[in-house]
Amino acid sequence: MPIIEVSSLNYRYVGQRDYVLRDISFTVNEGEFVLIVGPSGCGKSTLCRCLNGLIPHFYEGDLEGDVWVAGHSVRETPTHVLSQHVGMVFQNPQNQLFSLSVESDVAFALENLSLPREEIRRRVDEVLSLLGITELRDRSPFELSGGQQQKVAIASVLAMRPRIIIMDEPTSFLDPISSLNLIETIDRIRKSLGLTVLLVEHRIELAAPRANRIIVMNDGQIVYDGNPAEFFERYDAHSYGVYVPKVVRLAREVNKHVRLFNKPPLSPEEFEERVRMFASHRV
Amino acid sequence: MPAIEFEHVSYQYKSGVKALDDVSFTIERGELVVLMGENGSGKTTILKHLNGLLKPTEGRVIIDGTDTRTATVAQLAAKVGLVFQNAEEMFFESTVRDEVAFALKNFGYSEDVVKRRVEWALRFMELDAYAENSPFILSGGEKKRLALAIVLAWGPEIIALDEPTIGQDSLQKEKMAEMVRLLNTQGKTVIMASHDVEFVADLSPRIILLSRGKVMGDGTAEEVLTDVEKLAKCSILPPQVVATLTRLQDLSITRRTLSVEAAAREVVEKIWR
Amino acid sequence: MALSLFEGLRFKPGKSFVHKLDPRAKLLTSLLILITAFMYTDVVIISILLLLEYVLIRIAGVSGMWLKTLRGALPLAAIIFVITFFARMADKGVAFITFYESFAFAYRLVVFLSSFSLFFLTTTPEEIALTLTKLRIPYQYTFAFVSAIRFTPVLAEEMQSIMDAQRARGLELDKGGFLQRIRKMIPVLVPLLVNVLRRSYELAEAMEVKCFGVSKNRTYLKELRPTGKDYAFTAVVVVLFAMVVVARVFYIQPALHIFGLLGLLS
Repeated sequence: MPIIEVSSLNYRYVGQRDYVLRDISFTVNEGEFVLIVGPSGCGKSTLCRCLNGLIPHFYEGDLEGDVWVAGHSVRETPTHVLSQHVGMVFQNPQNQLFSLSVESDVAFALENLSLPREEIRRRVDEVLSLLGITELRDRSPFELSGGQQQKVAIASVLAMRPRIIIMDEPTSFLDPISSLNLIETIDRIRKSLGLTVLLVEHRIELAAPRANRIIVMNDGQIVYDGNPAEFFERYDAHSYGVYVPKVVRLAREVNKHVRLFNKPPLSPEEFEERVRMFASHRV
Repeated sequence: MPAIEFEHVSYQYKSGVKALDDVSFTIERGELVVLMGENGSGKTTILKHLNGLLKPTEGRVIIDGTDTRTATVAQLAAKVGLVFQNAEEMFFESTVRDEVAFALKNFGYSEDVVKRRVEWALRFMELDAYAENSPFILSGGEKKRLALAIVLAWGPEIIALDEPTIGQDSLQKEKMAEMVRLLNTQGKTVIMASHDVEFVADLSPRIILLSRGKVMGDGTAEEVLTDVEKLAKCSILPPQVVATLTRLQDLSITRRTLSVEAAAREVVEKIWR
Repeated sequence: MALSLFEGLRFKPGKSFVHKLDPRAKLLTSLLILITAFMYTDVVIISILLLLEYVLIRIAGVSGMWLKTLRGALPLAAIIFVITFFARMADKGVAFITFYESFAFAYRLVVFLSSFSLFFLTTTPEEIALTLTKLRIPYQYTFAFVSAIRFTPVLAEEMQSIMDAQRARGLELDKGGFLQRIRKMIPVLVPLLVNVLRRSYELAEAMEVKCFGVSKNRTYLKELRPTGKDYAFTAVVVVLFAMVVVARVFYIQPALHIFGLLGLLS
């Protein structure tokens, strides 16, 4: 069943001549892990804002088309109601934590929604342990590393128990190891809670092997929507401004000598698996 | 005379954190060097020593024959152009042209020299069309190029870049790699801090590997980035080609290389045999 | 100097009896010390207040920071002394009593500055926020206070980094005359302001998705729960204050009595 339905969405910010999003249509089913990629300025962040109500409630502009999220029309539902269905994690970890302790930050939205104190306490405990950051509870966000801050940001959103999480380049301020760790954590939580995840990410080599779908955007439009491996197989990803993982190039190069890969592997693990299968057949 | 010499440099922040611990290396003129290491390994601290923003607590830093302790930041900055990680957040002038001219005026160039150099730097970075625009309305990639143009304008011998690819998409990264190579072939000494392994692997520079303020390795990209054990010790993910080959070592795939072509040949030879 | 005055207003974490006291009890204590210092220009009484503060500060183990506040307050105290002295000199002439009263005025200032340092040194910003909430201050203001504390170190870091970047562009911040130096702050202040604006925009977005200001009756996860110790402490403080008030009503001024006995007031 679709949990997100977007049809013929057009949008331009107030005072701008050009549309940032042009004729965007897609649906997302419950439990999918969708990777959204494209060169900077292609409209990825704007699309995220259309899905959680920041557009049209926070940003003014011209919005055409329909956006339905978890059974709510985004246009007619206030942001705070949508926030309980769609959690949003932003790029800069520093600018989405307001409090002086991790615990207060995780409780922040729940306090604003005036949930009973006992309920808040239970949920805070729950998400802190889910993300494995219970020991950071009393620390100040300022003293945490970028990776830890981003986990706190995710926890603070998960505390509202949304069914969908949207993340707008959550790793762009992190180093590769912390990025890998964060993406693994996202994947783990997604599986254990059955969440629907939309991840905007340019570290494709880390995210693509875990996603079951990739949406490629270019200049405000969706240019590809489907299976990630198929995208790299059929399309010249590079010409869409999408990074081609080295392991995909390696498989292409191997195929020039021996046609070993029918579809490109997206991770060293998938590459290994295919090579081993091939080697064992030959023995 | 080498461009940069670090002699047993240690640096301790006022908070007591030791950011550099007995760091020694020499960089010759015209070299392309990348400092690699996880966040907090000391990369940025080293870059800030190059133009004297930081002075070593112990040891000496010598730039082009000058001990940094005997010179002011402005004197050293004329020799070392340092582009900060978030240099695009440091703009303040109303036009791109003035933004480039600012440093030239600080260094005391005459008006016509300033004008000539600004034009040259903007053309070099393909920004001449935006000279009269506000620097704030440039796109992300253009801002990065402006940050480079600012530094190139005063013609420093050494260009230092802190994480030039952070937050950049793949096309912008390619452009950046192209610029870095171009500068290097023009004879500039380029030193860069980066944890972007694939970007560095493509650039194929000399790599100084850092972890917790100590030099853990120093060699060609091929040598450093194929040493999987050492990379792991420094919390760095190996390049994907190396990671892939490493997984297949029991199939007698022993070659370690950064080149996609060479790696493919190795796989085909050993499996197709 | 001015900076060291603020040093004394920064929270130092600790687990002492004073740290654990209900912030309202501490705030009340600081206020009563302040009022007492206003009621009296008597050196003996003020010294007793300072001694009481010192005892609490010692229990909290923050005497180093507190002494810094005292030292930071000295220039201000000196100014008060000089002003009072010249003002009094006009009608009383240069007498012992003029010296004494000017001194008492300056001394009083030191005491009440340090009384607030007692509060700020031993109370977490979060507790301060809770106290503000309990005082029925609207949440927006409490939130503004908390974010000010939260982002002060972030901004300080940012400012340092901008200064470094502009120095790397040949800007010599510490050269030139007063006016020139002020002009040289423009390349630092403009980017700082631009970044603050961008940051506030991003923060506003994040606040919006975290349902800021949605409910009139916001829940507070943490609450202030006074214990027996807090009541006992407050009781002692209030009794002491009552004694002070009684003493004031009966016009007891120990220092003047002593001076009178020594024949210094003639």
